[in-house]
Amino acid sequence: MLKYLLKRSGIYVVMIFLTTSAGYLLAVSALKPALLEQERVPRPTPEQVANSFRLLGLDPNKNTWERYAEWLGAVVTRWDWGRSPNGAFINAEFGERVWVSTRLFLASIILTLFIGVALGVYSAARQYKFPDRVITSYSYLAYILPAPVAYFLVQLGAITINEAAGKRIFFVTGISTPGVDAGWAQFVDLVAHYAVPTFAITVLGWGTYQIAQRQYLLDNVNADFVRTARAKGLTRNQAISRHALRVSFIPVAQSIAFTVPAIFAGGFFAEKIFAWHGVGSWSIDSIALQDVNAATATLAYGSLIFAIGAILADFATTLVDPRVRVA
Amino acid sequence: MTNLNAVDGASLAEEARIEHNDVVIGKATIILRRFVRNKAAVAGLVIFLALTAFSLVGGLFTSWDKATIDPLFIAEPPSSVHWLGTTQAGIDLYAQVVEGTRVSILIGLVVGLLSVLIAAVYGCTMAYYGGRVDKIMLFVLEALIMMPALLVVAVATGSGGGSLRRDAPSWLLLVVVLLVFSWMGTARLIRSLAMSVMQRDFVKAARYMGIPPRRIVWRHLVPNIGSLLVLDVTRGVTAAILAEVAFSFIGIGIRLPDVSLGVLIGQSTAQVSTFPWMFWSPLIVMLLLTGSLAMMNDGLRDAFDPHSSSVGKAKRSQKARAA
Repeated sequence: MLKYLLKRSGIYVVMIFLTTSAGYLLAVSALKPALLEQERVPRPTPEQVANSFRLLGLDPNKNTWERYAEWLGAVVTRWDWGRSPNGAFINAEFGERVWVSTRLFLASIILTLFIGVALGVYSAARQYKFPDRVITSYSYLAYILPAPVAYFLVQLGAITINEAAGKRIFFVTGISTPGVDAGWAQFVDLVAHYAVPTFAITVLGWGTYQIAQRQYLLDNVNADFVRTARAKGLTRNQAISRHALRVSFIPVAQSIAFTVPAIFAGGFFAEKIFAWHGVGSWSIDSIALQDVNAATATLAYGSLIFAIGAILADFATTLVDPRVRVA
Repeated sequence: MTNLNAVDGASLAEEARIEHNDVVIGKATIILRRFVRNKAAVAGLVIFLALTAFSLVGGLFTSWDKATIDPLFIAEPPSSVHWLGTTQAGIDLYAQVVEGTRVSILIGLVVGLLSVLIAAVYGCTMAYYGGRVDKIMLFVLEALIMMPALLVVAVATGSGGGSLRRDAPSWLLLVVVLLVFSWMGTARLIRSLAMSVMQRDFVKAARYMGIPPRRIVWRHLVPNIGSLLVLDVTRGVTAAILAEVAFSFIGIGIRLPDVSLGVLIGQSTAQVSTFPWMFWSPLIVMLLLTGSLAMMNDGLRDAFDPHSSSVGKAKRSQKARAA
């Protein structure tokens, strides 16, 4: 198992290297921070701009390959991801933003997965009955709403609740209020900030898992091995939970790998709308600000998240599928 | 001793067929009938066609277009002059919604159809050749999945596009970028399904008989994964429409003066409470569009599924006879 995981990790390291390099080359050739500097007042001379960028390691006069070699050298030898045009260090800013993104998404991802799979099993066991119809229709509704619009609607709902209550129960943007006392007050403030984004991401996200889990379970409910289990004397629920559920979870586990980067991209919308300054919103701001190093760093992070998701999916498959043996 | 009057199975079946007056129904007819039997799917198809017609000829019913400013009606609610009201710039919203619907449907159809085509060719090639070819192609596939589409969308349609942006309309750029980043998931799915079909005995038999690969793929592979392909077209169209709305909503993707449903929804979010019509009418059109596709999706799955339990009068009358 360990050997297999190491081998997979090795492949993914190569892959991350390739996508990140491709991203860097794309960013270097497409993003021109010098153009933005021209809008400053007073307007700096081209020499001043070139000079300040050279000090930051963003020399616009060097060609693409020289800059790539320099950047790669810094990353490999010193783990230094470079600096932004405004002088900020990528490493420092990155650490802060990863923490924000993790706080925003970790709870939502876990909740989404559990609620989705549980509802999928529940509705599959009651196919075409009223609860199944309600749950599945809801999932389809979530599926046809684009993420940012749905988040926006949840935000509107929270604002309506605030107005109806006459005071600010939920905060629809931001992470925390500055200057709140530690202890209970801080905890209440925290919950008031977390509630709306977590709720929005979760209610929008579980639909995909519910539909998939329901579909795969229904495919297996009438399989021969489930009938055998019934014939041995198990009740319907026992047969489903011990035999059908395990098999039907395999494709769902596989799909986790692909939903993790999807949540990362969808999370970008969430970060933008709820004004949490995490990695996702940084990736888009970095392009607006023509920041080559930041754009590349966010891309590398996205690739890493995908690799972790893919390895986790493999791991989950070996856990639930008795037929898969990796030595 | 041989019984000359022994009943053979074939003639018995023949007799039964004549007696019950059964007819062999073609596959296409069965699929069509199953689809028609699903009321929601038919409703979805009707809504989708109606929206397409609306986007093509809707502009003929109004004298306004998406660029003309009406100085007498600025940010006015719906009235007899402007059916869906006007924007803050005084542009007729109805004309903009017609135009936006057309752009959204166009993006959806082009991206949905082409991405499934690419995915099918790529996935089947991987499954057919297997081995080293499969490994290399899978590596390329996963590397592409890792690349976040967002970055490329922003670069291509944003300031980085440079000369490209001047020459091509922004919807075309968005189509290309969405196309490049939308086929990988489907390709992976098709690969795994096609691989399981390749293991079946009838494919092995065909291989040993020396039938050329191209014929095996067309005769055996494609029909067996056909239902998946059809489903992925509608799914791909929905995904492309949603992606366009999502990207344009937050200000990358399609940009003014080009309009799409995403642009219309996005530009009105700041004043939902003051100008609600500007937000809700494009949103409702978009929900109708994606909703109708989702309704069709379910019916199509039922129609193409060989194990479908969607049976019409035949089964029911048989049951009634048995009872």
